[in-house]
Amino acid sequence: MVKKCYTFELKNDLSELEQLCQNCEDIGRSINVSDKSIFEMNLALDELFTNIISYGFNDHREHIIKISITVDGDQLEMRIEDDGIPFNPLESKTPDFQCGIEECKIGGLGIHLIKKLMDDLQYQRVADKNVLVLKRKLRNAD
Amino acid sequence: MEIIEEKQDTVSVFRLNGRLDSSTSQGFEEKVFGAILDGSKNMVIDFKDIDYISSAGLRVILKATKALHREKGQIMLCSMQDYVKEVFEIAGFDTFLPIVGSMDEALKSF
Repeated sequence: MVKKCYTFELKNDLSELEQLCQNCEDIGRSINVSDKSIFEMNLALDELFTNIISYGFNDHREHIIKISITVDGDQLEMRIEDDGIPFNPLESKTPDFQCGIEECKIGGLGIHLIKKLMDDLQYQRVADKNVLVLKRKLRNAD
Repeated sequence: MEIIEEKQDTVSVFRLNGRLDSSTSQGFEEKVFGAILDGSKNMVIDFKDIDYISSAGLRVILKATKALHREKGQIMLCSMQDYVKEVFEIAGFDTFLPIVGSMDEALKSF
């Protein structure tokens, strides 16, 4: 299978989630993965995108978040890049949900989901940008 | 996302349609907490026509569950599609949230 790479940009506005969904569907179809994989790609990128626009900017100006999705053989790689304040979401605490409803804390849930959906996550601060790379091996069922 | 709110006896029923994410969860939260403020203690959320949920949606469900517990009430979630249910499972929410197959089952539990 040849290596395929798709890149798109979103503005720092929650209304862009619709575009993210559409792009995930289009790209997922063209790389021929299951609806479940498309759902999970969308969910992982949604969580990161929402995190970035909730905590990444404090200047009330428009910013661009760049996303690329690459498939090389059975390896799926998603890269998300923003020019917000330095923030490594992987350092956030994993929530503990085994503790009963009242004690159950809400923070860190999005990152928890991403960690479960992906095989590998890496954060780098490069040239004043936050770069997160998510990797997942595509299995037959994907 | 579309939200249809109705009452079945004393139970507040919310039928959702679309995607429950960070751009739609706030509107949903306002409706749910509006009902709790109006005295609703028992609630069913119908997920039949929800084809996507993110942590923003899970958060609203968790907040509502906590609020209803304090009122000695109960929340039931029903008719989830597989992918959506899986998000609840990955988050570990299925261990303390009652998720049932159908609206009938949900309503019978009160």
